[in-house]
Amino acid sequence: MSAVDVITAAEAPLPSGRWRIIRTVAVKEWLDIYRDARFRWLAALTLLLMACAIVFGVQQVQRIDRDRAAAAQEDRQVWTSQSAKDPHAAAHFGQYAFKPQSPLALADPGVNAYVGTAVWLEAHKQNEVQFRPARDSGVSARLGNLSLAFVLQTVMPLLVILLGFAAFSGERERGTLRQLLSLGARPLDLLAGKALAVTGVLAILLLPVLIGVVIACLLLVDDTQLSLSDQLARLGWLTLGYALYLGGIAALALAVSAFSKSSRAALVGLLAFWLINCFLVPRLMTDLVRTALPLPTALEFREAIAEDKKKDFGHDETHPAFIAFREQVLRDYGVNRVEDLPVNFRGLSLRKSDEIGYGIYDKHFGGLQDDYARQDRWRAVPGFLLPFLAIQPYSMGLAGSDTRGHYHFATTAEQHRRLVQTMISEDLIRNGRYGDSSYVAGPELWERIPAFSYRSPEAGWVLSAQARNLFTLAIWCAAASLLAVFAVRRLRPV
Amino acid sequence: MLEARALTKIYQGAPALDKLDLQVPGGEVFCLLGPNGAGKTTTVNLFLNFITPTSGQALVCGVDAAAAPLAARHLLAYIPETVMLYGNLTGVENLEYFSTLSTGRRRGRQELMALLREAGLQEEAANRRVAGYSKGMRQKVGIAIALAKDAKALLLDEPTSGLDPLAANEFARLIEDLRRRNMAVLMVTHDLFLAKQCGTRVGIMQRGRLAAVFNTDDTDHLGLERAYLDISRQAVAA
Ligand SMILES: Nc1ncnc2c1ncn2[C@@H]1O[C@H](COP(=O)(O)OP(=O)(O)O)[C@@H](O)[C@H]1O
Ligand SMILES: [Mg+2]
Repeated sequence: MSAVDVITAAEAPLPSGRWRIIRTVAVKEWLDIYRDARFRWLAALTLLLMACAIVFGVQQVQRIDRDRAAAAQEDRQVWTSQSAKDPHAAAHFGQYAFKPQSPLALADPGVNAYVGTAVWLEAHKQNEVQFRPARDSGVSARLGNLSLAFVLQTVMPLLVILLGFAAFSGERERGTLRQLLSLGARPLDLLAGKALAVTGVLAILLLPVLIGVVIACLLLVDDTQLSLSDQLARLGWLTLGYALYLGGIAALALAVSAFSKSSRAALVGLLAFWLINCFLVPRLMTDLVRTALPLPTALEFREAIAEDKKKDFGHDETHPAFIAFREQVLRDYGVNRVEDLPVNFRGLSLRKSDEIGYGIYDKHFGGLQDDYARQDRWRAVPGFLLPFLAIQPYSMGLAGSDTRGHYHFATTAEQHRRLVQTMISEDLIRNGRYGDSSYVAGPELWERIPAFSYRSPEAGWVLSAQARNLFTLAIWCAAASLLAVFAVRRLRPV
Repeated sequence: MLEARALTKIYQGAPALDKLDLQVPGGEVFCLLGPNGAGKTTTVNLFLNFITPTSGQALVCGVDAAAAPLAARHLLAYIPETVMLYGNLTGVENLEYFSTLSTGRRRGRQELMALLREAGLQEEAANRRVAGYSKGMRQKVGIAIALAKDAKALLLDEPTSGLDPLAANEFARLIEDLRRRNMAVLMVTHDLFLAKQCGTRVGIMQRGRLAAVFNTDDTDHLGLERAYLDISRQAVAA
């Protein structure tokens, strides 16, 4: 053996253009996918599905928004055209607060269909949000399953699995893996190329969808209720979340393909994952958190409030709390009779009664929301293994259609109710005479009370709650990628 | 230069390859003969590090295949019983793909066609999809891949089994061309005639050991056949 004949490992020539290798693999895979007529059909069908989802979504958001605008206008009309009357009677008369639809709700209607879009604001009482489209508005809303979110969370993973399951196992079965590995190509470069091809196909499929949603946002956004820039920021975060979700599934498909002896085994394994991730475990976790962290039933909830509301005297002048309050006021003003008060005692007592009620409602509604939040947090815990559990709440959250978004609306509406109550009680306090029920307020008071308007919170407010799920998705994607790297490192053709 | 040093592979206690010592310098064709299960493919797979040795070393130009598999594979070209290619790509597209992956360099169409011509593939065939190729044509693409790679050593595992005599003869001439380029060639074959024709040395393997080695110049075809049959009979008797 001559010295020239011996080349040490360090000096041995290695391929220089790694990027070229990765690109070459990607382009070849891409062509293979593209030339497959079955895949072209599948891709076209998926695109059609997503286009339909966007169009239906836009129509639904528009319809709900149109109804809402009309109802809000009519309701305001009714409110302002009240005749002169006792202001507290007007407070009892009440008004509606309507939740404007976020354009992104077309992408993910979330719990919209179940929690309702309007709340009745009246004296003494915080009502629950009502008008559930699932109950009220016919077939299209109840078939809310064909949302973009459904396609992205459930259908797209299937497509990704079909794109990736044979990536390595197919080469092993055809024998080309021997040829590939004998070249001295780095398995990591093969992985990178194949991953690039799968994610590239995904990007090509999803780009028109993203553009469609941007256009829909431009069409639907109502600047008085939410800013376009905020919607676009939310869309950006949504895109990131879905990229992590689907990217991780692509990595998993490649990993399983590299581990599997046959493509059939890879496909079966991946389909099992798909069923577990998209259907079985979400359902199971819902039941689990429901059992482990039960919520009060609607009846229990109302009864608990009613129990606490016994502390609130309302119009009951024999209520001990009422009597105590009256004594307190008389003492404070240094008078003996309510008739001698410089202000209207009826207004004062109404305001006091309201204030007692506020604390009670805050406690119960806030507690309920805390329970929801705790359930949601626990439900998403296995999300780094089964990322559906993380992407689903994340997507709803950013679309503004999760329970937290609804609670934000409900609290804003409640603040408005309190403002109305306060303005009315103060009008009474200033202008009424005790024992004389002849005081009436006129249209200028009805006008002075502002119409309810709702601005949805900024993306940052959503992210503060969704950071956990985004982090879970990042872990998922990283873990699946590491698994793929591990799988190809021990890639053997035999 | 290919070298095996006490190369051993044991499967569940049974040695498939038992302390093989072998040197194939550049410019030599070493033909490995032997009955089925003798350990020939195991030897080839160990040089490619498709399997890891139980002990010993497989060296390619001094590079330990188990320690630095990528570097070792870079110096090697490999032609299995049937070269597996992508059926939906043409011959030249296959060559383009595999040569880019092995060198990280993209070659022009002319260069690729020249390589295929050198490997004996007709221009017209090079532009057809590989799905319709005969085995002989596939093997030629395999040779072209080896040429494109500028490999220092060539491993062939029964490359001519199933080829008709004419195609096998043409293949032998191609091997001879590669040998003249100072490649170290290790060829596993069942074809005594081919071994005598293009081998510089012939080794007969039996139960994981090299039972005998001949210089083809010193042995005639009949002598080789007799030795091969004797060793095979011993294997059957044992
Ligand atoms: N993956 C494996 N597991 C167990 N035994 C194996 C494996 N691969 C090969 N062998 C055994 O090793 C021996 C040598 O096999 P091989 O090198 O393929 O023989 P050949 O000389 O016919 O190419 C045979 O006895 C075979 O059964
Ligand atoms: Mg063999």
